[in-house]
Amino acid sequence: MSPVRRTLPDIISKLRQRWYAPSGYLSLRVWDSFGSGLLNLMVIGLLVVYLFPILFMVITAFTPSEQLGDRYAPVYPARQLRYSYAGKDYRIYNVPFEAGVRQLALVKPGPKASEFMDPQDPEAGLIYWDGSWRTLRGVYEFSPTLDNFDLLFGATRFPRMMQNSLALVVIGEIGVLISSTIVAYGFSRFPLPGGNLLFYILIATILIPEKVTLIPTYFMVVRVLDWNGSWLPLLVPLFFGNAVYIFLLRQNFKSIPKDLDEAAMLDGAGPLRILFSVVLPQTWPVVITVALLHFYYAWNETRQAALYLGIRPDLAPVSFGVQNFQSLAPIQNVLQASALLVMIIPVIVLFISQRYFMRDMLITGMEK
Amino acid sequence: MRFDRAFGLLLITPWLVGLLLFKLLPILASLGISFTDFYLLSPDHIRFIGLHNYARLLRDPAVGYVFFATLALALFTVPLQLVASLGLASLLSSPRLKGRTLLRTLFFLPSIIPSVAVLFMWQGFMQPTTGWLNRLILGPLGLTGFDNVYTEGIRSLLMLIGSLWSIGPGMLIMLAALHSLPREIEESARIDGAGPILRFFAITLPLISPAVFFTLVINLVGAFGGVILLDRGNFFSGSSSPLDGYISDVMFGDFELGYASSLAWMFFILVMIVVILLFRTSRRWVYFPDQEH
Repeated sequence: MSPVRRTLPDIISKLRQRWYAPSGYLSLRVWDSFGSGLLNLMVIGLLVVYLFPILFMVITAFTPSEQLGDRYAPVYPARQLRYSYAGKDYRIYNVPFEAGVRQLALVKPGPKASEFMDPQDPEAGLIYWDGSWRTLRGVYEFSPTLDNFDLLFGATRFPRMMQNSLALVVIGEIGVLISSTIVAYGFSRFPLPGGNLLFYILIATILIPEKVTLIPTYFMVVRVLDWNGSWLPLLVPLFFGNAVYIFLLRQNFKSIPKDLDEAAMLDGAGPLRILFSVVLPQTWPVVITVALLHFYYAWNETRQAALYLGIRPDLAPVSFGVQNFQSLAPIQNVLQASALLVMIIPVIVLFISQRYFMRDMLITGMEK
Repeated sequence: MRFDRAFGLLLITPWLVGLLLFKLLPILASLGISFTDFYLLSPDHIRFIGLHNYARLLRDPAVGYVFFATLALALFTVPLQLVASLGLASLLSSPRLKGRTLLRTLFFLPSIIPSVAVLFMWQGFMQPTTGWLNRLILGPLGLTGFDNVYTEGIRSLLMLIGSLWSIGPGMLIMLAALHSLPREIEESARIDGAGPILRFFAITLPLISPAVFFTLVINLVGAFGGVILLDRGNFFSGSSSPLDGYISDVMFGDFELGYASSLAWMFFILVMIVVILLFRTSRRWVYFPDQEH
């Protein structure tokens, strides 16, 4: 057998040896940092594609309305340059001549030919150009506008809806955090009748589709309790705890060793004292996670609001109120402005809380 | 007061009362309603009609259609979400990546955007004249996009986009699982000559299978119209899956509350069957460390 014949694995292992050999270390380093650079670029490219509509939304929200009808307008917020002469405003276009493109103000538009004026040299008189002015591209300058937001604030009670959302979030947080924490503590530390049966029921309730309980709940709220057109149907159930939050909190409370409880008990602490002085100080990151989960739920909630607050627009939260804009103001840039306003608070909260939210808390709740 | 049964019961009392008032009683009531011809516009004439609603449900062609549409959507979106969240988590856990915390937050961002904003954004993005899809992507390629953004096809597409924009929780769960992997196992496999692909499928994937399982549960329930971790509201008036949407139509459009209740119960049983099947099969492929014998 000839010694020249080599198999692919041989070649690879030879190459490897050369890379890992001290003399080849530099080339390995170069290869490695090249790979890292490629990975970083790839992830950033992926991110841009993934978030592209958000970019569209933000930019369109600051775009003047007149730009939307103009198909030659740039994608960034811009307005067409104008030239005012003798008390009148004329739009400026890029007009192609044999000698090159000139930026001229359109004075007399015509279907076949138009007359222009040179803003640099108005004394030269009218310039005649053959062709349809509609094919000309305008001259634009970057000019973001806040008009869309003005229109929104003028046409709707946006600040009021924001206040409603905020109030619903704060009251709901108080109710759901206190009740879920206490119930989760009960599940994590106390012998309960039926053993784990109650806990399995808790998990099963997470899976009940909303539609199954909707009709009887609606009739109970509207007919029996007479809570229609108020915040009560949205808030009161939260004071009885939320199954998902109870589950997450219970799993974390369980992960705290019981030795500490017992030490505190020997010192004469009661169960509630142990909850506040031993358990909660060690599990507060998960309490924050639960608070954040509820914040996003409460801020984005539309189903309950649609059921019970349809008759009281003045009590509607922003996520529900904004839905009506589509028929109210079907202009793209105004819709995008409203989308920006309704999502800005959750986004700010996400960035402030990323330290807590992005950590490994969810899994500690998920593990058995 | 000691850690006794009575005090424990006292602590979970709020939940027990809520369970009774907001879950058990309504569920039983809705089962009862499903055996009647309850019609919203004549609420005083409720008759018991036995299994009539369930017989009607089996003959209703619309039920068959939305049932298979829901299953098809779930079969498509759930694996997609799973692969996307696992892929993103593996990319974002690489120590060679710069600014990982910020990148994670940015990839998580779409999952917390209110559904109404998601809807406005994507409909605007796909708008034929002013949207960027035509102007910046399809136009330069010589293609034309959709001329109408309110069709059934676009609705399904938006559901798909919505599902890809909701992978945040799954991604976080998998990231956390990847973080807690013991380094030594992978190191020793590397020394034994296992390549990155073999290492991923033979070591990493089995070890994070609990995370994969929980992500699967979350996504499946989500595909059927339920919500477990992050709730952003509904995309369209009252619907988050075709089946769920049909129940809304019968409920709020036709006001046939008796029939709607039987549909909702069928839906409930369907979700339960899927979840129980998932938990049953999980013993075969999910690695639970504390269940070893």
